[in-house]
Amino acid sequence: MSCGTGGKSCETPRRRGAFVMLGIMTLAFVALSLFSFMKSRGQVTPDTVSYGPYRAEDGKRVFQAYNCMGCHTMVGNGAYLGPDLTREYEQAGPAWLAAFLPSAGSWPTAAAVRAQLQDPVQHADSGAGTIEAYESKFPDAATRVARRGGKPSNMPNLPLTRDETGQLIAYLKYTSAMNTEGWPPRVEAEAGPDERLRLALGVQAIAPAAAAPVAPPAAGPADPVARGAQLAKDNGCTACHSTTRQRLVGPGWGGLYGSRVSLADGSSVVADDAYLAESIRQPNAKIVAGYPASVMPGYDTLLKNDEVDAIVAYLHSLEKQ
Amino acid sequence: MQIEYQTQRLSLRFFMLMLVLFLLQVGYGLILATQHIDPSVQAGTMNFNIARAEHLNLGILWILCGFIGAILFVGPLLARREMVAPWLIKLLFYALIFIAVWNFFTLRLAQYGIAGWWHGQPWLQQGLEYLEAGRIAGVLVLVGFAILAYVVLRTFPPVRQWNEIHWGLGLGVTALMAVWVFGLFYVARLDLQEYFRWFVVHYWVEGVWEVIHISLVGFLLVLMFKVDIKSVGFAVFWGVALVWLSGLIGNAHHYFWIGTPEFWQFWGSLFSALEPLPLVFCFWHIYLDAHTNRRPLENAPAFYFILGSVVLEQIGAGILGFSMTFALTNVWSHGTWVTPGHAHLALFGTFGMLGIAAAYYAVPIMRKAPDYDQRLGKLGFWLVLTGVLGLAFAFALGGTVQIYVYRILGLGWFGGDVSRAMGLFKLLLPMFGIVFTVGAGILAYDLFTLGRRVRAPAGTDPRGAIHGEVAMPRGSTGWGRPLSGFEAGIWLMLMWVFGGVITLGLLSFNLPRVRVLADPTLPYLLAGVGYPGLLLVTLAFVWRFLASLEARASLPAPTVVAVDAPLPLPARS
Ligand code: HEM
Ligand code: HEM
Ligand SMILES: [Fe+2]
Repeated sequence: MSCGTGGKSCETPRRRGAFVMLGIMTLAFVALSLFSFMKSRGQVTPDTVSYGPYRAEDGKRVFQAYNCMGCHTMVGNGAYLGPDLTREYEQAGPAWLAAFLPSAGSWPTAAAVRAQLQDPVQHADSGAGTIEAYESKFPDAATRVARRGGKPSNMPNLPLTRDETGQLIAYLKYTSAMNTEGWPPRVEAEAGPDERLRLALGVQAIAPAAAAPVAPPAAGPADPVARGAQLAKDNGCTACHSTTRQRLVGPGWGGLYGSRVSLADGSSVVADDAYLAESIRQPNAKIVAGYPASVMPGYDTLLKNDEVDAIVAYLHSLEKQ
Repeated sequence: MQIEYQTQRLSLRFFMLMLVLFLLQVGYGLILATQHIDPSVQAGTMNFNIARAEHLNLGILWILCGFIGAILFVGPLLARREMVAPWLIKLLFYALIFIAVWNFFTLRLAQYGIAGWWHGQPWLQQGLEYLEAGRIAGVLVLVGFAILAYVVLRTFPPVRQWNEIHWGLGLGVTALMAVWVFGLFYVARLDLQEYFRWFVVHYWVEGVWEVIHISLVGFLLVLMFKVDIKSVGFAVFWGVALVWLSGLIGNAHHYFWIGTPEFWQFWGSLFSALEPLPLVFCFWHIYLDAHTNRRPLENAPAFYFILGSVVLEQIGAGILGFSMTFALTNVWSHGTWVTPGHAHLALFGTFGMLGIAAAYYAVPIMRKAPDYDQRLGKLGFWLVLTGVLGLAFAFALGGTVQIYVYRILGLGWFGGDVSRAMGLFKLLLPMFGIVFTVGAGILAYDLFTLGRRVRAPAGTDPRGAIHGEVAMPRGSTGWGRPLSGFEAGIWLMLMWVFGGVITLGLLSFNLPRVRVLADPTLPYLLAGVGYPGLLLVTLAFVWRFLASLEARASLPAPTVVAVDAPLPLPARS
């Protein structure tokens, strides 16, 4: 028989027909594809988007280098551990992102976002100089700060440099500007915020969460060390610094006070009150060896003198750690 | 049956490598499931994305090992001569090991943001889902595919003498290599990058792999049941033709939301909705080919896994794929856990089970143990089948909750809101994962040691107890009576009815009642009926089918039955 094992095919004429059909369909597919990427369609391309000095094209490389898609989706593709990032820039805005990305292990507080707004690049990009203006421009950032600020996040800290952070923001700005045919679908639910939480988690489940955001004490505690500890937390310092010797984004505070610190320029200083106060106000004045410059925002205009003193007192109390 | 050609033995090492990589991959799966519950597990040491990259990478590698093993085993039989260039095949084997080890070290560089940029290309790892490996590994893989294609095409007879199975495998190994090339370039635009990434991912699973799958299943049935190659050839031809004619433009179901124009929603929904056709067709042929011939099953585990592969292809790829392939349903399922529900059932079910089936068919022959103890294989089958159905259940229902909380209510805090709402299903995942892992461990142990263990003591049926315990008392009535075409049709229809319910469930998110008034009752109800219904029907059907086959062992030897004639009911013994 002609169609046995190793014998001839029985379907030869039909196969020809199938190949012809396939060829026609390939042509149609190629034509649709060419049209999809024509300039005249007006889809944004990364070479046209930047954030301050940072280019979206570089940001895409950073995004891939850290395999962000291994935990998040982008245009809906990727992993489902964290949220979709397509519209992240549009929702949270550049200052929230700049506060979050270098110390992703915890969520930015209002003070941490405010610190970012000092940066002229931020200012120019978001068009908001004050936290109030920023939050009204990016309402989602306001919700995030209110609900999560200062709490631990599920994302691990990544060793992002300042440039990489900026490039990532530029990339997210690009994806936010893309036309993705209405995806992710717009939220149309009418329920208010509390009602949504109740619908999502049930009544009992949200009770502890609702009680959680403790109002910051109106007048700081009298003890400067306790007050400093509270200030360090509120201003998002502990997102990047541990109270032990462990390195997070910045150096750990344990045993720092009074120790000799080697600086990036090769010199060294003793970590006394003056050095610590300066490092809070103008972190770039002296960079510790082994750390990149310009990661930490300057708190010069954000903290009053007595607040800086309280934080220094708190650091002093960690001397023995 | 015996080995006819010495080069068939080269397949053994690929099957063994497949099992090792399979176990590692499943281990990573358990880690992922744990990290979903507590993301601080291993954070800083092996972040979720690193483990996931390994999980996906090894998943692809072991499935490829299974394909290669199967192709090497049947290649000489199809060509009626030894494989050419066995040294190249050995090289391929070591290259695969090297790639697996290389990726183990390079994929974790993502934790430090190192991609190995050089001349605009990421050489060490590139952080793209499924294509995580860097250019160095990518080029090596291309060389590996080239070796495979060369060896297969050179071994086969001249094209004029090809039958349908040669065509399927020949086209398959060539396209496997061709499609991979689209993943070897860095693309700066996100939309264009995703466009080409799906060339690799979609055209692999829904084009090339399905074609290789149909051809291999067809030929394995020829070998196991001595089915007429002409009738299998007919099935293979139509299967392959329909897969490509629907899948070519069907790729557009990945182009709905990546920044490509709206018209893809029409083309993608239309053509990919046809993609289940060849799968229904293939499913039907399993029924016909396995049932028109009434021989008892000689190698039960091998057939169990072939059946599992075809059935899970039907429900995992065909039905769950269908449910999310329309722009109006995909807009909700996209980017949620509903997708991995489909992914696990389709990928492991269709292709993973095929590799294991081929191993169960080939290993006893190569180790000269035709009467091996089949109990472990059967047990392993039931465990991985239940496990993977359970995984799909947890993913799909968790995904349904995720759609509601994340997309309908617009709550975007994963740690605080979304994961908490999905909590129950996140817990179910590792539980079914453990069932799956135990099954995988049993299978691997069985296949590693098959033919080397002590034989079953004389007096017991070496093929396992099931013949006696389950099939005998029921004989040819009840669960064990022969499955008729009519009944198989009813089962298939039931599966699609539940598939329809699932599709309507996704569709119902569009209703103002759900979208605006935030009332989840309808989608939850439909998903709550659809997914468990589909998965339970599947389990019951596999059970029914196998009971019907097992019952043959207790029936008198068959008289010749004509292919097209209605089957006479056998007399009870
Ligand atoms: C055996 C065959 C198949 C396998 C192994 C398979 C596997 C996969 C995998 C792994 C994904 C996940 C991609 C990701 O991570 O984003 C996926 C997505 C998808 N599959 Fe399949 N698939 C198969 C067949 C089908 C069929 C026949 C259909 C349609 C009828 C289909 C429809 C879809 C759709 C619509 C998505 C996109 C989900 C999204 O991104 O929104 N699949 N498939
Ligand atoms: C014990 C068994 C397994 C467990 C517990 C498991 C668990 C997981 C988890 C938690 C994810 C990540 C989903 C996310 O991003 O949120 C995942 C992804 C994935 N796994 Fe598994 N897995 C297992 C076995 C397998 C097997 C055997 C295969 C295939 C051969 C497989 C293929 C995949 C694929 C393709 C994805 C990506 C899916 C997508 O993005 O849609 N897994 N798995
Ligand atoms: Fe696809």
